[in-house]
Amino acid sequence: MSHHPSPVLLGRRRFLEVAAAFGAVLAVPLDAAIARRGEVAESELTDWIFIDQAGTVTLGLCQPEVGQGSYTVLPSILAEELDADWPAVAVRWVMGRDAYKIQFRNEKPSQKEGASTSTTKLYARLRTAGAAARIMLVSAAATRWGVPPGQCETRDGWVHNRVTGEKLAYGTLAPDAAKLPVPSDPPLKDRSAFRLIGKSLPRRDTAAKTNGSAIFGLDVTLPDMLNAAIRIAPAIGGWLVAVRNEAEVLKQPGVRHILKLDDAVIAVADRYWQAQRAIDLLDVVFSAGENGHLSTALIDNLAEAGLEAEIGVPALSQGDALKIIGQHPDRVIESRFSVPHLAHAAMEPMNATVHVQKDRVDVWGSIQSTDATVTAVAKICGMHEDQVHLHVGFLGGSFGGKIVPAFVAQAARAAKALGRPVKLIRTREMDIQHDHFRPNNKGRLRAVLDAEGYPLAVHARVCGQSLFATTRPNWLTKTPLGDYDESMVDGLYQQTYAIPNFHVDVIQTPLPIPVYFMRSVGSSAGVLFWESFITDLAHHAGIDQYAYRRHLLRNYPAGLRVLDAAAQAAGWDRPAGPDIARGIAFNTYFGRGGSFVSECAEVVELKRVGDRWKVARVVCAMDAGLVVNHNTFNAQIQGGIGFALTSALKSEITFRDGAAEQSNFVDYPLLSIAEMPEIVPVIVESDRPPQGAGEIMVAPLAPAISQALLHATGRRPDRMPFRAEWFQARA
Amino acid sequence: MSVTFSLNGKPVTFDGPDDVPLLWAVREHFGLTGSKFGCGIGMCGACTMHLDGEAVRTCVMAVGHVRGRAVTTIEGLPTDETNPVHQAWNELDVPQCGYCQSGMIMATTSLLARNPNPTDQDIDQAITNLCRCATYIRIRAAIHAAARRA
Repeated sequence: MSHHPSPVLLGRRRFLEVAAAFGAVLAVPLDAAIARRGEVAESELTDWIFIDQAGTVTLGLCQPEVGQGSYTVLPSILAEELDADWPAVAVRWVMGRDAYKIQFRNEKPSQKEGASTSTTKLYARLRTAGAAARIMLVSAAATRWGVPPGQCETRDGWVHNRVTGEKLAYGTLAPDAAKLPVPSDPPLKDRSAFRLIGKSLPRRDTAAKTNGSAIFGLDVTLPDMLNAAIRIAPAIGGWLVAVRNEAEVLKQPGVRHILKLDDAVIAVADRYWQAQRAIDLLDVVFSAGENGHLSTALIDNLAEAGLEAEIGVPALSQGDALKIIGQHPDRVIESRFSVPHLAHAAMEPMNATVHVQKDRVDVWGSIQSTDATVTAVAKICGMHEDQVHLHVGFLGGSFGGKIVPAFVAQAARAAKALGRPVKLIRTREMDIQHDHFRPNNKGRLRAVLDAEGYPLAVHARVCGQSLFATTRPNWLTKTPLGDYDESMVDGLYQQTYAIPNFHVDVIQTPLPIPVYFMRSVGSSAGVLFWESFITDLAHHAGIDQYAYRRHLLRNYPAGLRVLDAAAQAAGWDRPAGPDIARGIAFNTYFGRGGSFVSECAEVVELKRVGDRWKVARVVCAMDAGLVVNHNTFNAQIQGGIGFALTSALKSEITFRDGAAEQSNFVDYPLLSIAEMPEIVPVIVESDRPPQGAGEIMVAPLAPAISQALLHATGRRPDRMPFRAEWFQARA
Repeated sequence: MSVTFSLNGKPVTFDGPDDVPLLWAVREHFGLTGSKFGCGIGMCGACTMHLDGEAVRTCVMAVGHVRGRAVTTIEGLPTDETNPVHQAWNELDVPQCGYCQSGMIMATTSLLARNPNPTDQDIDQAITNLCRCATYIRIRAAIHAAARRA
């Protein structure tokens, strides 16, 4: 067999397309990209708005498009206040300025995306920038005409003279406008004047994502580029001991280099399939390292021991909960719950392309974090951070998984060794097995009810691996009894239900497992524990589940409004019918560091199909403040519930001999179209500015399913995922 | 060794081993990156192309298997009003991250070719591609919309 791999040759046009898609913009036409290279002068109005003399208005996007719609929603906020011609604007990726940074808790500001904050943190900033630029353009026009600014109005990229009927294009005015000072506190539009915000704009990226032209990290192609595949030590903390047949594998067609890292081996070849073949051929010895004993049984035992510990670190202590519970051992109701580690499993496996040159590094890829990636790559390449240039295109999903730049670091090491652009792609197996997982958690909840059947005293104990202790120790909350991780008690310790005596405490079980945030992270455990326990209490008291929650929400009208909206849309007051079982759950979602407050209530309907109960319909009511784009907001509700249902029914990472046991969709399955329920979104509008909307629908789903199962079958699951046997209908 | 086949209506020759997955031959050697790599085991369908009009998972299909046959990728489908699937996908704004959508559109086009008016049950059985964003509600609606348009 003779095989002659052809060199990577890109025509100039193809290269420009890639450059256009990644160098500066996501999907604007090629000519706009060329224009920015200096052929047409461009004026900068604020950090966000760039207008060239040809009239193209380019809006900056600092938050990667991972599917949530940032590529449409964020520029539309700028365009609204700017009065730009929305269909004609271009959007480009921007980075490196203070204006693009956001702050979480006590961290220094950085450019990053996560925690449902893209719109919440940038809404006012983008409106202000758009309004300031509009005023600058109006001033420039007024000066040209020699009229007061009040005689001018703006529409679709033009300044109009109200008296004379003359008009000037933004492109004509931009050079003059850019010389004017940026107004710091420009007046903003009244909501009633919005033409883009609050509407249902189509996504800007749909055409590219339906004709195959959208460039994801996987699709980056550069002249002279090599491709890399990787095998990572299976055990967490394991290391590479030996590669036995390196010389033999290096003789394979196209294979250029075998790079040995402390914990992995990387094969670099002309083509990716050659690199992956080389990895499969390599005879590699790994050591399990110090964690070879790690197993799910051990993880579970640790957490269960924590549930039994005498005291935990209190996250909340109001009234006399422990005393009341101690005084009435015969009246205590107790429930226990468990959730496993989870993998993000975005459809696009982690990948990155890196080119290390003498005085700069360029990075392309499916990357959710900006500054963290720049820092990691600069360190590996021995460069200053301002020498690292990150080009972010479309991400094939992330859900928090592509924030940690471990995969980018691996690509950077390969690129540094080869001196040519290298694209490293993780297989699905590497993507799942070496993810940074959503942490595990167990809960034990105890309550004593009052004479009416409502909670008089509650003690919630949570135990598991701490996300913050593992990733951000300075986010831990300090108490005289030790530190606790608020994400372990999300959905529990900040309570909008009226509980007179309430004690929440936490015990961490340190584990060597890499963990990270994942869509709704702590709430996806805490709300399962809390709302399932409320289900048990209402069931014990013989009170309707909706009425029970109404009573608990009596002091919190904002939540009550959303709960009522869900119940009403679901027809809770009407009998469900013999083959339908319903469950209701509620959650007030507090954004990280107090960044927002969103309300969500869901009613799940199970339908009996043969001898199975199937999740057939979900009514989801949300108050997430002003909805900037109803189209993408509804998509978030649908997708978030699908994501939650996958976790509820299927997802579990278990460990054995120090390694994650799951590695592909065979053993880490995703929801299919056949399993997707009907979804009824109920948007409860409010006067508040936009609140977090991408995660809040996730947490209430599993407890609502669990409650519906209790109604349907007389028992409910206490461990995620809810295995198939729970859905067996009684004969 | 080489493999000659038709790619989006044009004859192409792949110079390489027969057992290279069609997906990588198309992506790396012919520069068509609309078909995606998702699982490498033929489960998720992100790599779906048409082989003589039938949807196939190409991450597990040897390029040698398509010798002399016709392969169509997402780039080979029309995007104008003659393609009801593409129109419906755009009208309903189906994609979120978009990574699986090429495969979804290829699977749908193949389904509608043999079943112009599929029921929900037909869709459940035929569309086994995976979407982590769970755009399934709009996918289902778009399939029905495309059937109505055709």
